[in-house]
Amino acid sequence: MRSRCPVLLFALALASLIAGAAVDARQQEPAKPYTPPRTPDGQPDIQGIYNPVGTFYNIEDLEYQSLYQNFKPNPSLRGKSLIIDPPDGKIPYQTWAAEKRKPIYQLHGDPTPQYVDPNARCWPQGVPRHVNNREFEIFQPPGYVVIFNMAHHTYRAITLDGSPHIPESVKLWMGDSRGRWEGNTLVVDVTNNNDQTWFDVMASFHSDAMRVTERMTPVSADRIEYQAVITDPKVYTRPWTFAIYFNRNKDYGSELWEEACVESNDRNLELLKRPGRN
Amino acid sequence: MNRCFPGWMTAALALVAAMSAPAGAQDAGTLLRTADGKPDLSGIWQAVTSANWNIQAHSAENGVPAGLGVVDGDEIPYQPWAAAKKRENFANRATADPESRCYLPGVPRITYMPFPFQIFQTPGHIAITYEYVHAVRRIFMNSPHPEGPIEWWMGDSRGRWEGDTLVVDVIHFTDQTWFDRAGNFHSEALHVVERYTPITPYHVNYEATIEDPKVFTRPWKVSLPLYRRLEKNLRVLDYECYAFGLERTWYRPPE
Repeated sequence: MRSRCPVLLFALALASLIAGAAVDARQQEPAKPYTPPRTPDGQPDIQGIYNPVGTFYNIEDLEYQSLYQNFKPNPSLRGKSLIIDPPDGKIPYQTWAAEKRKPIYQLHGDPTPQYVDPNARCWPQGVPRHVNNREFEIFQPPGYVVIFNMAHHTYRAITLDGSPHIPESVKLWMGDSRGRWEGNTLVVDVTNNNDQTWFDVMASFHSDAMRVTERMTPVSADRIEYQAVITDPKVYTRPWTFAIYFNRNKDYGSELWEEACVESNDRNLELLKRPGRN
Repeated sequence: MNRCFPGWMTAALALVAAMSAPAGAQDAGTLLRTADGKPDLSGIWQAVTSANWNIQAHSAENGVPAGLGVVDGDEIPYQPWAAAKKRENFANRATADPESRCYLPGVPRITYMPFPFQIFQTPGHIAITYEYVHAVRRIFMNSPHPEGPIEWWMGDSRGRWEGDTLVVDVIHFTDQTWFDRAGNFHSEALHVVERYTPITPYHVNYEATIEDPKVFTRPWKVSLPLYRRLEKNLRVLDYECYAFGLERTWYRPPE
């Protein structure tokens, strides 16, 4: 085989979560006190391979996961959202942004090439999608938390040294992550994001003014609670909060192996071109 | 994490400007070492060479810096059919080079791509994150290769220490990557043994022994120094080669 990566077109082909297992973050059991072990440099040790629990399909409506992956529909998930603030579970788009998204949202199952999910084009997922998209690994060498995602080998090196963000004019697919430990919670400030990544398959988008503040709290040896506060004054009317949790993956083994993406996928956009579309 | 480093370390950090400083730094002439006594390779490194254009000696061309090459003896021992294939590759290099499609460049080419990379080191596992197409290598220490057949773009890397030298054995490659833009190539039978030998806190002597019985008549070697990048606040950025010119196709927020 030329690659372990299957030919990918849509996140449809990325199925790794089952909607029936998806759980609304608001329904999680209350956090119990948990004290993780320490790494040699004194960080709370949360290393290992995890899976996000929720959906990567439509973060505002968990039922889409089943509807678009030909799973048995699960109406109990209809309207349930991974967004815990605002209370209606919807991304608080400004009016222009909601209008901008509409046609992309409607076309997402059969998109024209320019509307294909950027993740399906093998572009880096950005934050927070980086931790809501397949298996990922947390690695904690001295002074860092490094996160590796299985899907197209993206990585993020979160420095803990208190150094300042890079100049605002520099935009990065995965942003510039600066972290600190507050007790057992890893708090990460992510700036310098570009405007090309989505939060899910449904064209949920942001601008290059987005700032993400992540909080990762281990609540047991096998579970991390995750919240991300998203601010972007160019696109939203207010900050909003996305919440999921990560379960330790005990089946995968101890090594995350290569999954190339563009190497198998770079001609597939051509397949979407049909007469009358571009 | 600041509170994890003693005060004197701040001075060492300022001196080295490394992204991570281990215990054991004494002076500029002494190797940095980790708590377990191994040389500490943590930090951001880069090769300074024209090898990505051509690993052998070559004259300058428009857009191509001249170079003396990185191949020991400057000779690559191709089998006759492979020498012909290399010439064909060279003739078609503008489009045939997998780099022109932004594919993962394989090993050792990723090491001398003209972009920085960062080494993260623990006793059991060394990770290298590269700026170029966010390539990643995971070097698992003192563990066996998984059973093949497996074809990975970046191969499967298993490391061990021989004294102060990190030795990395890499197999399970594809036949899709080249060594440079000049058409030097290999098969999926490629076997690379890399040796990272720190010679000062700021320099690593990098050697890669290349073996491929389908393509070459004998093993051969490339060697070049790696330089620690010392700029203040340096970090590995991104170079998402395959996205250039394709992004920004779907929306622009109002200015």
